[in-house]
Amino acid sequence: MNGKEMSIAVTGLAAISPAGLGTGPLREALADGKSRLEPIPEDFGVGSGYLWGKIGNFKVSDFIPPLKARKFDRCSLFAVIAAGMALRDAGMDTGSTDPTRIGIVLGCGFGGIANSEEFLRSYFTRGAEGLAPMLFPNTVPNAPASNASIEHGLKGPNVTFVERFCSAESALMMACRFIREDRADIMLTGGVDELNPLMIKAFGALGQLRGHARNFSEGAGILVLEKTGHARERNADILAEIEDVRTVGSLVKGLEAEGMSRLLGAGGACPLVSLSGVAEEMKPFPETLASARFVRTGVILGRSLAMGGLSMISLILSMSPGQNAMHFAASPEGPYYAIDFRGGASVRQ
Amino acid sequence: MISYEALPRTIRAVRGPPFPLLNFMMKKSIAITGLGIFCAAGKSVAGFTGSLLGGRSAIGPVDLFDVAPFPGKIGAQVRNYDPTSYFDRRTAAKLSRADQFGVIAAGEALADSGVRDSYSPYDIGVCMGAGAAGMLQGEHWLRETISNGKGHPSLLRGILPDRTTTAISEMYRLGGYQGSITTACSSSATAIGWGADLIATGRLKAVLCGGSDALSILTFAGFNSLRVVDWEPCSPFSLGRRGISLGEGAACLVLEEETAALERGAVIYGRVLGYAVAGEAHHMTAPEPTGTEASRAMADAIRNAGITPEEIGWVNAHGTGTPLNDVVETMAMKMVFGNRVSDVPLVSTKGLTGHCLGAAGAIEALATVIALKAGLIPQTLNYRGADPECDIEYCHGGGRRSTMGVALSNSFAFGGNTTSLVLGK
Repeated sequence: MNGKEMSIAVTGLAAISPAGLGTGPLREALADGKSRLEPIPEDFGVGSGYLWGKIGNFKVSDFIPPLKARKFDRCSLFAVIAAGMALRDAGMDTGSTDPTRIGIVLGCGFGGIANSEEFLRSYFTRGAEGLAPMLFPNTVPNAPASNASIEHGLKGPNVTFVERFCSAESALMMACRFIREDRADIMLTGGVDELNPLMIKAFGALGQLRGHARNFSEGAGILVLEKTGHARERNADILAEIEDVRTVGSLVKGLEAEGMSRLLGAGGACPLVSLSGVAEEMKPFPETLASARFVRTGVILGRSLAMGGLSMISLILSMSPGQNAMHFAASPEGPYYAIDFRGGASVRQ
Repeated sequence: MISYEALPRTIRAVRGPPFPLLNFMMKKSIAITGLGIFCAAGKSVAGFTGSLLGGRSAIGPVDLFDVAPFPGKIGAQVRNYDPTSYFDRRTAAKLSRADQFGVIAAGEALADSGVRDSYSPYDIGVCMGAGAAGMLQGEHWLRETISNGKGHPSLLRGILPDRTTTAISEMYRLGGYQGSITTACSSSATAIGWGADLIATGRLKAVLCGGSDALSILTFAGFNSLRVVDWEPCSPFSLGRRGISLGEGAACLVLEEETAALERGAVIYGRVLGYAVAGEAHHMTAPEPTGTEASRAMADAIRNAGITPEEIGWVNAHGTGTPLNDVVETMAMKMVFGNRVSDVPLVSTKGLTGHCLGAAGAIEALATVIALKAGLIPQTLNYRGADPECDIEYCHGGGRRSTMGVALSNSFAFGGNTTSLVLGK
């Protein structure tokens, strides 16, 4: 599935990751290449030797008044804060812009799971008297994007995807379409995910701590997109341009080569590629990408279902002006994404 | 590009400024060539059609889990369901209840369309809306884990809402696209709109889209804790309504570009003419109270379809039966249709199907397509009396004949996620 039909600019970035808050700590992590993962506490009962990318020292009150913060789940906190950071980075003043022209499409991983567990645990242990209605609204995966839209007054298109390790890429493809179709002038997109002890226990029970849930992490990576012309009109910094989005839903047995051909397109080898999800473990790994320099966000920050947001930001932070690069993402049973970027004139080295 | 100001006034009135003329002129016609449904009101399109046109509510007792602790104990549960009638034991064990419903409905829609015989697997995508997904099985795991420290891990297989999409892709060898939209009660309406978009862009030749969801303790207890569950079958737009009746099920539509569908001799059940998605940016659970935001999604969808409000014959409401939603949706209708509002019935099919959350938008879209084709506006069931705040036409007295060929289907969700679909026959 090919989408070479657009000129869409990335004009703002926000990162909340195990490296810290903001793109600065992420850039430092990419430069030194050292893992920001830490051992999973042994009292979780899943055994030793496992790592996770839990965000520590996250002082919510630096961003949101504590009383207000209480109504959000952790994933929503990440989304609300990151959306604000991304809008500021893009130089957007939401107060002076038509709110119906700013939308948000996010990929989400396990958003809502923590609230669901707390709500149900209380019911299973205390019966109907234990039900806490305040927890219920944020059990839905769209809570992060919706809370961000409420906090920042974004009334444009608002959608959430959960699509395995390609949640953020799924969101980005839709956001690009909404801009191109003039459903919105500005779209916030990317991914958000959270990590909690129940998830680690569940991954352990499923035997996934050494599998696809190895080095699981949390955080948010949000990109601000707009038409290149729109960005130029408002003198926004163009950090990168999205040139093409290709995807296949799965590699159909017996037709894998056709699927890879559709995914990677007819272009030649790409010099810079970010790998997301389980792309690095693909067998066989695509030959046309083999000679590229790789941006391996997962090695440094861990991976999550919505890590594509942070991974695409890492790619943009690694590009030079005019440089072509590809974001390549894969999920165990599909989908797969190949997204072509070109470094913008304002790429921040 | 011709400027907006240079357009003839009639086109400006229809389109409004945000949509370029080029999109309007080049808009592809997206045909619906396959239908599938599996829910309490019918385990096939034929069965569902009978319930819809006959006005038979599927809301009744729920025995999927213990409902005794809750004030509202009823719902539209899929009864007499044996997974092994549809799957071998091994496959059934791998799929959650929601996944199973989705796979069954997808199978009916795909067989109905014959689309798999015409296109490469990479030209057909899957886009499903999801809600609680495999939460029912996840709840068993959590309960076991709390009671004895170790739940059976297989119960967690379907906990992520994207599992239904993947199961459908695998089962039917569809490799073009996988997307799972999770915007609570508007998920599957958005999945249909996005499915139409994927074809309109030329990215895919066909999309299997819809939604699937199953009852769970989480949603049953959750909505009861918010005191929005009626202890009688829900009665949208009626006096004395107290809230929703939950339901479960799945519905799928196969979409194709109309010219290609006609070339291969497909039956065309209807068309997706346009859609809009928006965020109210108001509150996580309460609708924006004036109806302005709901009306914006409806008006945008009509503009996106390239038609005027005068062409809309009726509206399949979100119509949950909660006191506030029904009043707000009524106000939104007045804003969109103005003096003509009394000629545009606002009907809710939730009295028939219950509120199927992640599957609601797809089930209601399918009901709308069937009703348009039959030339009938469905009845809003379970009338209890006239509410002075709900003062437009709801077809409480019975379905009515209609020659109008276009209807709107609304889906409004937690988080202020609003979606309106414009469907034509």
